[in-house]
Amino acid sequence: MELKRRDFLKISTGAAGLVLLQPSNIDKVCEAAENSSNEDLAMLVDVSKCIGCWWCYVACKQYNGLPETATPKPDDPPPLAPDTWTTLFTKKQGNTWKFRKQACMHCTDAACVNVCPTGALSHNKLGFVQYERDKCSGCGYCSQYCPFEVPQLQTNKVSGDALMDKCTFCIDRVTNGQQTACSEACPTGAISFGKRKELLEEASTRLAELQKTNPDACLYGANELGGLHVMYILEESPEKQGLPADPKVPAAAMVHDVFQWLGVGAVAAVLAGFGLNYLVARARIAKEEK
Amino acid sequence: MEARTVERFKKRTIWFHWIHTAAFLLLIITGAILFFPGCGGAAAGGATRIIHHIASVIFIGGAILYIPLNPKRALQFVKDTLTWGKDDIGWLLAAPDYYFGGPEDKMPPQGHINTGQKMWQAVVLGTGVVFLVTGAIMWFARGSISEGVFQWCMVIHGLAFIVALAMLFVHIYLGALHPRMTESLRSMLNGKISPKYAKHHYGKWYEESLKEEKD
Repeated sequence: MELKRRDFLKISTGAAGLVLLQPSNIDKVCEAAENSSNEDLAMLVDVSKCIGCWWCYVACKQYNGLPETATPKPDDPPPLAPDTWTTLFTKKQGNTWKFRKQACMHCTDAACVNVCPTGALSHNKLGFVQYERDKCSGCGYCSQYCPFEVPQLQTNKVSGDALMDKCTFCIDRVTNGQQTACSEACPTGAISFGKRKELLEEASTRLAELQKTNPDACLYGANELGGLHVMYILEESPEKQGLPADPKVPAAAMVHDVFQWLGVGAVAAVLAGFGLNYLVARARIAKEEK
Repeated sequence: MEARTVERFKKRTIWFHWIHTAAFLLLIITGAILFFPGCGGAAAGGATRIIHHIASVIFIGGAILYIPLNPKRALQFVKDTLTWGKDDIGWLLAAPDYYFGGPEDKMPPQGHINTGQKMWQAVVLGTGVVFLVTGAIMWFARGSISEGVFQWCMVIHGLAFIVALAMLFVHIYLGALHPRMTESLRSMLNGKISPKYAKHHYGKWYEESLKEEKD
């Protein structure tokens, strides 16, 4: 009896561990695939297939007409900048380098869209975060609210004049039946482009395969921030890949939203109060004077 | 009305008031389009941000420049704002009825500015400092400070805006439109009010200025 009970505990603890570590991730991915809109486009980056050739970086520069500012090297990767919309996060592991393509994540709950006052940042009906450059006022709110520190500004410190730039999801290409420049350029198939729903299904299959040998393999972006439109198949935990484990829209954005409507209410209340006050005061003073 | 007038504001104070007003209105307009939901389209291109920055320099710079130009009045401004007595409590209790057309005799006599104006000055000073600090951080320190600091600066700048805007409306209404404040706006244009108006609205100050005249 005693033995049996111990065995039962062992088995159940092991099962719980399995549920927590492996299948739950795949379950969540499948669930996200079911819930994902049929319209949404996305990219799926499989870091296990990335060889660090920088073709995505070059293709992005070339297609978007951005100047080549530095020869990219693994030990000195160019950071995201107003003229660098995609780059690689690099990491040395033993004798080899590990790479992860890094650019705008095109969040569903996008803090940048939330705080952008001019509507320069908005959601395209295909799900990604589109950017209309001529609408940018240069306020920089997006750059300060993005949990991934993606939006980059060129700023004149003295006048304060500024302009933001980031990945556009190659809007001109993807709305004309083409794929993004970076995914087209990728020679190893590390960057897949397509319908988000299908990519999630693909990811769950790939993940199941990877998890056979690597229990740490996981998918990033299935459910984070309402679902990202750039998702990663990672070989280790997100933190080790320079990604926040649980990205959130900063609380200040919510407070600011409340204040904005509070401001509207305050102005309306004050103006209504004046109207009432004027009528009452004038009538009473006129009565008194008589 | 008596022909004699009482000097309420000096020329330089009047100039300062209206330059400050113009700068503040520019700040409000260029800030409001970023703040109020659905108005941001007007800020596209960023020209209004440059106007906001120029106006902020005039707004803050003007206030600082005024101190050496009229040190006595500047000191008086701060002293008036901070000095509170039982007549201020009396004013607060009697004011609601009075401003809704109630009897005048319940209002305690006031100094050079009344309790309501004191509160407005406190709002100007308080929000002015908040606008300056949070605004300067967002203008000059973005990227050097943490995102969290920037985020809360933006939120606090917005909160100060709500307070300042609502109180500015009150200031404009009471200064220029309220049926009882008949000479207030004029005094900020030519600096003078009638003795009757002075006696009714600023009793303590009127008595003092009469004494000073005799001296």
